[in-house]
Amino acid sequence: MDTPSPIPPTPDPFPRRTGYVLAGLSLGFAGLLALFAADPGLWGRPPARPAVPPVDVKFLDTAPWRRSYADLVAAKEDLSDFDCYACHEKNKPPPIRYDANHRIILPKEHSNFSMAHGSHDRNNQCYNCHNESNLVTLQARDGRELKFDNSVPLCGSCHGPTYRDWEGGAHGRTSGHWDAKSGPSRRLVCVNCHDPHQPRIPGRAAAPGPRSLREETPPAVPVPPTSTR
Amino acid sequence: MAPPLPPAAPDKTSDHAMSRRSFLRGSAAVSGLAALAASLSPLRELQDFTSTEEFLQKYYKELTPEEMKRVLARIEREVERQYGIRPHVRDLRPMDGVEFVYCLNLTRCIGCRKCVHACVAENNPSRNPEIQYIRVLRLPHGSLDLEKAEHRYAAEQVPEKGYFYMPVQCQQCENPPCVKVCPVNATWQEKDGITVIDYDWCIGCRYCEAACPYWARRFNFAQPTIPRERLNPEMAYLGNRPRPKGVMEKCHFCVQRTRAGRYPACLEVCPVGARKFGNILDPNSEVSHILREKRVFIQLKEEMGTSPRFFYYFDK
Repeated sequence: MDTPSPIPPTPDPFPRRTGYVLAGLSLGFAGLLALFAADPGLWGRPPARPAVPPVDVKFLDTAPWRRSYADLVAAKEDLSDFDCYACHEKNKPPPIRYDANHRIILPKEHSNFSMAHGSHDRNNQCYNCHNESNLVTLQARDGRELKFDNSVPLCGSCHGPTYRDWEGGAHGRTSGHWDAKSGPSRRLVCVNCHDPHQPRIPGRAAAPGPRSLREETPPAVPVPPTSTR
Repeated sequence: MAPPLPPAAPDKTSDHAMSRRSFLRGSAAVSGLAALAASLSPLRELQDFTSTEEFLQKYYKELTPEEMKRVLARIEREVERQYGIRPHVRDLRPMDGVEFVYCLNLTRCIGCRKCVHACVAENNPSRNPEIQYIRVLRLPHGSLDLEKAEHRYAAEQVPEKGYFYMPVQCQQCENPPCVKVCPVNATWQEKDGITVIDYDWCIGCRYCEAACPYWARRFNFAQPTIPRERLNPEMAYLGNRPRPKGVMEKCHFCVQRTRAGRYPACLEVCPVGARKFGNILDPNSEVSHILREKRVFIQLKEEMGTSPRFFYYFDK
């Protein structure tokens, strides 16, 4: 019974299974490293912001809405529209025709404007402003004869408070220099904004509103409250 | 029964080169290096280090004219490097005998927001993320309750029935709370009434933003982006020169224009002439006339005691 017993197999201190696990972990870490190196976005940087298209340059236009007769003269534009006696006869004021509702009937040559001065029709008469004895001039309510490029006193002869505001600078726009020593300024006149035949300024599209970083939808337009005015 | 096995001695002669200890040591080293790299990675975004010159620059009010000239040259250089456009940067000081006042006609304003975008085009704020100095509030008729105001209105056509519009921007207060809270005096009121910011001195703490009752101040949370073709090259140090990330900005009544005698950009673009600007110390100016003759009825939030230089008035 003294036969040497065979050496018992020592258990592997580093079992094969553990080796696989460690190799797998190492591979996983290496893979993550490669991923982070390849995509810098994974380092916790903020996501790309949605693009903001630049605003339409039409909203940056500083030109007045309309051009006055004086502007047209200065720009050497075609003034044939103001040459009344090309069609009309001198010393013979053109007659004005009315429909059954006493609304003025515009001849087709003048169909490019509509008569909408004020909320009633008493103002929609040609010779309230035009001079019937000399069509290339205007006539104020006090009888003054005014050139087309000097229409402000004509408007002011009816719209007194607004005229005073305009004189003082509270109505209408002044562009250029606030400091007369630094440069010229230009005060827009009535017809730079208002069409004499339909002075109410039409509505227009608004420029885009502010964006927030989160893409929010603007709230639905609520029903306007009943106005007391 | 087999005798209990003797404890296995660590097998130093094993074929396996890696022991548990060496694996742990190695993986700790690798993950430590990775963590270090990750913590330093924001440095990769630093393309534009603050130049030594800017870092050592003195406070605006302490700069001598020669130093100011060098500062302006540095800004021109930096803008040219960034945008490829050579700007004209000036340091415009307040004029004598001038105090600016803004008046806005609430009866006339139609809420078209042209002023907002003219201001953006003039003053070189960031386009993305978007920074705008003017906010147009839409309010229901018959009320001045700002809780009912909406500034993100999207209408097919303005003005909308039943509403009026009130653009709000920096009110250039006579008693500005934003100036009082600034811990580093990076913002102050000048003698022409404009509260200005030195963007090189601002530390970005945003106290002024919190102090302003009008939400007039904007913060550059990110590096501002401006399309090259939309950059306005006519700049002023305290005005519209491009701002770095992390500083405040706000409406400054277009100092680059108004201190050169011109009207601000928001006024020039207003299609209805609702905006009025001028020197209140000149009795013949438009704003003097308006404050004398018109129904100027609010300074916004006048109960705050800020005494704005921005007046809202009515026609009728």
